[in-house]
Amino acid sequence: MGALEGRVACITGGTRGIGRATAEAFLREGAKVVINGRSPEKGAATLEEIGAGDDLHYIAGDVKQRSDCEAIVNGTVDKFGKIDILFANAGGASNHAPVVDLTDDAMQDSMLWNYWHTFWAMQTALKHMIPQESGRIITMSSVEGKVGKPGISIYVAAKHAINGLTKSAAQEVGTMGITVNSVCPGAIETDIMTAEGPAAAESMGLTYDGLLDMFAQESAIKRLNDVSDVAEVCVLLASDAGAGITGSMISIDGGTSPY
Amino acid sequence: MGKLDGKVACITGGTRSIGRAMAESFVAEGAKVVVNGRNEEKGAACLAEMDAGDNATFYAGDASKQEAVEGLIDFTIEKYGQLDICCLNSGGVQMTAPVAQMTDEEWQLEVDWNLNHVFWGMRRAMNHMIPRESGRIMVTSSVEGKLGKPGIPGYAATKHAVNGLVKAAAQEVGTLGITVNSILPGLIETDIVRETGPDSADAMGLEGGYDALIEMFSSESAIKRPNTVEEVAAVALFLASDAARNMTGVMFPVDGGTMPY
Repeated sequence: MGALEGRVACITGGTRGIGRATAEAFLREGAKVVINGRSPEKGAATLEEIGAGDDLHYIAGDVKQRSDCEAIVNGTVDKFGKIDILFANAGGASNHAPVVDLTDDAMQDSMLWNYWHTFWAMQTALKHMIPQESGRIITMSSVEGKVGKPGISIYVAAKHAINGLTKSAAQEVGTMGITVNSVCPGAIETDIMTAEGPAAAESMGLTYDGLLDMFAQESAIKRLNDVSDVAEVCVLLASDAGAGITGSMISIDGGTSPY
Repeated sequence: MGKLDGKVACITGGTRSIGRAMAESFVAEGAKVVVNGRNEEKGAACLAEMDAGDNATFYAGDASKQEAVEGLIDFTIEKYGQLDICCLNSGGVQMTAPVAQMTDEEWQLEVDWNLNHVFWGMRRAMNHMIPRESGRIMVTSSVEGKLGKPGIPGYAATKHAVNGLVKAAAQEVGTLGITVNSILPGLIETDIVRETGPDSADAMGLEGGYDALIEMFSSESAIKRPNTVEEVAAVALFLASDAARNMTGVMFPVDGGTMPY
């Protein structure tokens, strides 16, 4: 008997990286899962690779659009009849620069991708979860949601904002059987990291390898984290056993964050 | 196949409440467990209730005493051949009081029980785990390890202290396959809380006594209820498993949304 038997989960940005690993962990534990991404081709490939049949469904959509966030969450309910678990996982940042050189567009894009998407998906999910008086919302923050590094303020600010949203929402729905928590991973070499990392490194005055090494050296384990580390925490938070954990920012960072 | 097949755990204060729930969840996932407590009769009852045969053993000893804590670690290794998971869970207060009225005896008891016990156990366990380059150490801290309430200064101070100890130790052994984490439960109606809660409520100036204590902690959470031992045990099981190999130095909250960070 899986820890998530009979549950329905929706994961934004679930075709690769942490979202994909979490989708597979949720499926292993008996849940039905909707994953999302911008590219229908990547979505189809992911469905085929995972091979979970009718238990896994893909909804294309750009999380930077409110209408798409609503469609992903509502589409989950349309497909599987309800939503028990939302993992607002998508995120990233492009066009990094030190604050003094930062463009409005770069900040706006990061806030849309990380913060607004989380808010839109959470709000839509809560409209289903509050009447059913049960639910699990997990937001994707970062070690950068607790600390700050130079040159990546657009990411740091958005991830801090997600933690604030998570804490407030948790207080709002705490007596309704709904928990709201964030996961705060250290650096993981996901596709998005490979794609955006080099530019972020440059903004920080580092090479890409130097960036990865810096994150590893700041941890106690002196290596990067893995997508499965995050997926397993999501299973715990999503399960019945996680009913008493809410408003928390769970560090999965090998001992990097100071709190 | 259990998540802890082949693993050996010891738990201070494991005959009832949080420690007992940890023991049961570990055994259910395939581990062998030594539980500790002061009272032989409670230990025997615990083993009978757990009904785990040779997979659970009781070791009598007072967790506020160095020889008992170190004895538990040594006994576990002697009994089962190794120690993979060390849960330093015991703790509490006896006759707490505001700082102005705190006695040296109570202060020393709380330091020994909540902080020194963790240090003694952790040090002994590490000396076994470091050569093996593998291990899990977890400490039962508290929301009071981040906050502070009037009337329980020793508890708040020692629970803060163990969080510092955990963070430093995690950095020391991070590359050796050993994780060191603390779990921070909110209020749980454990045996020790039922026993000492009425006096603690008095020390905290709560007119409604024990019930007011429970209500105060509950109302400070988002879930407006105490937490449960099972909720803590689930986190302990997770931290003990391979899945948490990259989580260390974490202060894991199980407090229904009470702490601000």
